[in-house]
Amino acid sequence: MKDIFADFYNKVLGFFRQSEKKENAKDVACNRLRVVLMQDRTNLTPELMERMRKELIELLSRYVEMDKEALELNFEQEGDQMALMLSIPVLRAREESEIEKELAALDAEKAKKEEEAAAEEDVEKREETSQDGETQEEIIEIVEAEPVDKAETSEGKPSDEEKVVIEEEIVISEPENEKEPKIEITD
Amino acid sequence: MSNATANPSVSDEKDKKGETMSGRVIVITSGKGGVGKTTTNANIGTALARAGKKVVMIDTDLGLRNLDLLLGLENRIVYTIVDVVEERCKLKQALVKDKKNPNLCLLAAAQTRDKTAVTEEQLKSICEELKKDFDFILVDCPAGIEQGFQNAVAGASEAIVVTTPEMSAVRDADRIIGLLESKEEIKSYRLLLNRVRPNLIKSNDMMSVDDVVDILSAQLIGIIPEDTGIITSTNKGEPIVNDEKSLAGQAYNNVARRIIGEDVPFLNLEEGKGIVARVKKFFSNLVGKEK
Repeated sequence: MKDIFADFYNKVLGFFRQSEKKENAKDVACNRLRVVLMQDRTNLTPELMERMRKELIELLSRYVEMDKEALELNFEQEGDQMALMLSIPVLRAREESEIEKELAALDAEKAKKEEEAAAEEDVEKREETSQDGETQEEIIEIVEAEPVDKAETSEGKPSDEEKVVIEEEIVISEPENEKEPKIEITD
Repeated sequence: MSNATANPSVSDEKDKKGETMSGRVIVITSGKGGVGKTTTNANIGTALARAGKKVVMIDTDLGLRNLDLLLGLENRIVYTIVDVVEERCKLKQALVKDKKNPNLCLLAAAQTRDKTAVTEEQLKSICEELKKDFDFILVDCPAGIEQGFQNAVAGASEAIVVTTPEMSAVRDADRIIGLLESKEEIKSYRLLLNRVRPNLIKSNDMMSVDDVVDILSAQLIGIIPEDTGIITSTNKGEPIVNDEKSLAGQAYNNVARRIIGEDVPFLNLEEGKGIVARVKKFFSNLVGKEK
């Protein structure tokens, strides 16, 4: 007798749950709103998003061969956190030698640029400090002790397009620091 | 310990001593149009006046004034805010007193001019002037985030953001909140959720109060249920707070009491009446527990 009641109860419950499973208008509204508000709040214009997409493709294609057209980049809500979702269909993993070759070429280019930048910065520092005689020595020491390449790369900038990247950082640095979007790579 | 006394009593004391008051300037804004800014303004203002406060409302929606209609004062307007600014009359001459409630005044917007007829500085000085004689200055803000909004916000130190549980209204409210947060003069803002429909929320067809509060992460000052009485009260030019039986009227009265500083619990809109509602509630509780 008890079993019959339990069975009936479960069936009734099942009926209710079925109707609950359908995604209701309220949840759709909440989710859509969250995504839209995230985009509104980040100040990332479609142009900037496109630029970020391009730069990511450039960076990642050094390591894997991927379908560049199919790469997706979106903001999504995961619980309380905002996530930057990156979906990359990988066509083929690159050969180790292939990657190394490309990286070596890149390093050479980077080193060249940094030399130029270091020279420029050195001149700037000297100009700045020449007004203040006492601190001059100190600052030059720091410049010497800490090679410029470290300072540059420690901020995680892609190294081959320094000037472009620096420009963009200025534009989007604020929302990025605030929300700390994490990058998740799927596929 | 005199510091601990609440704001309203302080202003009362000052009033008795004949010193100048220092009223609170509250802007009522929303971003999106049609969510009930002006209705909210008329009702909160009337409720505050009924509670014995001296209230003046400023309609800053130049060219699209409506606050006068909701208050039933449209035929008594002689001078507008533009006349004050352009010095065709004194500020006190332009204040239209409510017939039923002498505590309530309106400074009407000009219907024939546009938003550029008054500047931020001019509105600021009008608010400063009115602060001396009134407990509350409620500024009715036009829709949008352009100059009209900037003007309305200029003189205020508090804000009430009106929204409804609809996506577009919530999105616009989020934008407005962002703008208010960037304004130093605005010390606090609170959210008023208008046109809430408990039945739709119950059937999961509409965002709930908690959803909206959660998404906007703002402090709530009132929940106003959708009420057909609003339409008839607008038609009569008599704010719904005058109707004590109306649920929306009660909700607006509660908002006014919260503004004054009272701790008033929110109306429970989900509680239905009668046997059917009780049976429904019983079953929904059962299902809810099993989840």
